[in-house]
Amino acid sequence: MAVALAPPATDDNLMAWARRRLFSTWLDGLITVAFGALMIWAVARIVDWGVLDAVWTVAEKDRCREVDGACWSVIGARGRLILFGLYPHDEHWRSTLACIAIILTMGFSCIPKFWGLRRLPALWVAGFAIFILLMYGGILGLPVVRTEQWGGLSLTVFIFAAVVVIGMPLAVVLALARRSPLPVISGVANVIINFVRSLPLLAILFTAAVVVPFVVPDWAQGDKLVRVTLAFALFFACYQAEIIRAGLQAIPSGQEEAASALGMKYWSRVFDIMLPQAFRNSLPSTINQFVITFKETSIVTIIGFFEIMASGNAAVGTGEWVSQFVEVYVFVGAIYFAFVFGLSRYGAYLERRARLTHG
Amino acid sequence: MADTPAIELTGVSKSFGGFQALLGVDLTVAEGERVVVCGPSGSGKSTLIRCINRLEEHDAGRIVVEGVELSDDVDALDEVRREVGMVFQSFNLFPHLTVLQNCALAPMRVRGTKRAAAEALGMKYLDKVQIPGEAHKFPDQLSGGQQQRVAIARALCMEPRIMLFDEPTSALDPEMIGEVLDTMVTLAEEGMTMICVTHEMAFARRVADRIVFMADGEVVEIADPETFFTNPQNDRTRTFLDQILKQ
Repeated sequence: MAVALAPPATDDNLMAWARRRLFSTWLDGLITVAFGALMIWAVARIVDWGVLDAVWTVAEKDRCREVDGACWSVIGARGRLILFGLYPHDEHWRSTLACIAIILTMGFSCIPKFWGLRRLPALWVAGFAIFILLMYGGILGLPVVRTEQWGGLSLTVFIFAAVVVIGMPLAVVLALARRSPLPVISGVANVIINFVRSLPLLAILFTAAVVVPFVVPDWAQGDKLVRVTLAFALFFACYQAEIIRAGLQAIPSGQEEAASALGMKYWSRVFDIMLPQAFRNSLPSTINQFVITFKETSIVTIIGFFEIMASGNAAVGTGEWVSQFVEVYVFVGAIYFAFVFGLSRYGAYLERRARLTHG
Repeated sequence: MADTPAIELTGVSKSFGGFQALLGVDLTVAEGERVVVCGPSGSGKSTLIRCINRLEEHDAGRIVVEGVELSDDVDALDEVRREVGMVFQSFNLFPHLTVLQNCALAPMRVRGTKRAAAEALGMKYLDKVQIPGEAHKFPDQLSGGQQQRVAIARALCMEPRIMLFDEPTSALDPEMIGEVLDTMVTLAEEGMTMICVTHEMAFARRVADRIVFMADGEVVEIADPETFFTNPQNDRTRTFLDQILKQ
């Protein structure tokens, strides 16, 4: 990212560009050389450690103690634990397919063609149904795997997707309610948002996981994972509601007046005029919130779910691989990076698209 | 029905906080009549026409549009808004939709017209305001005059019986005022019932059946253009005309 791309040009221009941008004064030249050397050294170290001096296969794992490089054998040996957590070994294929189903669902919902009031819910219902059928089983001869045993990447992706999919509509409702001219409705939304925002995420998740079973009758408790996901979604919704509200406030009042004057009713004004513009206005903050939420899913570790961060920790928790924590964290970090970087690029694409269709 | 006035206001008052925007306004507009409303800034002209489609709710008095009285009754309001088109000073086109989508949206959502028919309707009125070539552009890609003509086409797509214009040329560069006024003249000549708040006196003289002069929330004088410009009855009208015609 740090290296600026040269303009498409001949060597002659490249030289001119370098002289102008990198060596215009002797101080510039000094800084260029110093940072260039630093970068080359750092890249060389990383390549040495991660590639040249590294041990790759599980079979060679005994060499790990002798070399200076990375010991990627740990990924081969413990990769399944990292990716699947406590999910039963023979059923890992189900977790893989379920994970792909959710990722595809997320991918499809990023495509503007799917943005419809019927298409998007249909897509999500189908995606989550496939995920839950595969993960939980109990039909088609698939053995039941209880949610306590779910784990790894598919759990992380599931929690994130469910929080966003449940939280987003809730956020829209809260944002619209807060702008309602009826004091009862705006007041209730106001209290919910401010109450939830005042509590740490951890306290809310603990309440859902641990406190709710004491105060709610057994038949109404539901699954712990469901409770935690719903609580997380509520937390997400309260922040996202304020983001959407900011997007709504930024729309000139003439927009809603013009729609009203054309005879459009409230819900049509909201869905055809207000929300599309509000989402555009709040795109950078929304992507921000998504990124934060994806990374915050690792908090569910604390109430006993083995999402990818926890299963990564577990992978190096036992004697044999205890010194390979760096490799495991790099591996888990790369997975987080792939998702979050993808989200950022998608956000940039949406902004470009909005500019193109905004004149 | 011919005898029912298009719009009938009786003793209409409206205040914003402590400010009295309208004070007992009486005005009757016949079917097919063109009325120009003028007056100094803050005289209540915009509030008056915004009350006719209830973008502002009046505090007192009665407003009856095409035989339907405006009240808290939502169905009545829907009925009135279907029949009354409005053009704003600041265009208020929907920036996230193309010109054609701007035109087709309300017929689809309000009248339940199918997309193809609504777009055909949109093209018909874009033709009428003479910018069919811009149908697939976004509003920001058009000049102010073009945007205002799209706004007129968008209102016409609901095939209203009454058109309200709230200072439609005040936000335009001088060279674009003509194209918008020409469109409005065409509409007037086709017999559309129109109420137009404007300071374009040449336009008023050419198309208005009557001119309403307002000041401080009250109707000061109503006259035909000839009388209004040559022999105004009220001192305030004279002062206003002096100021505006001096320019």
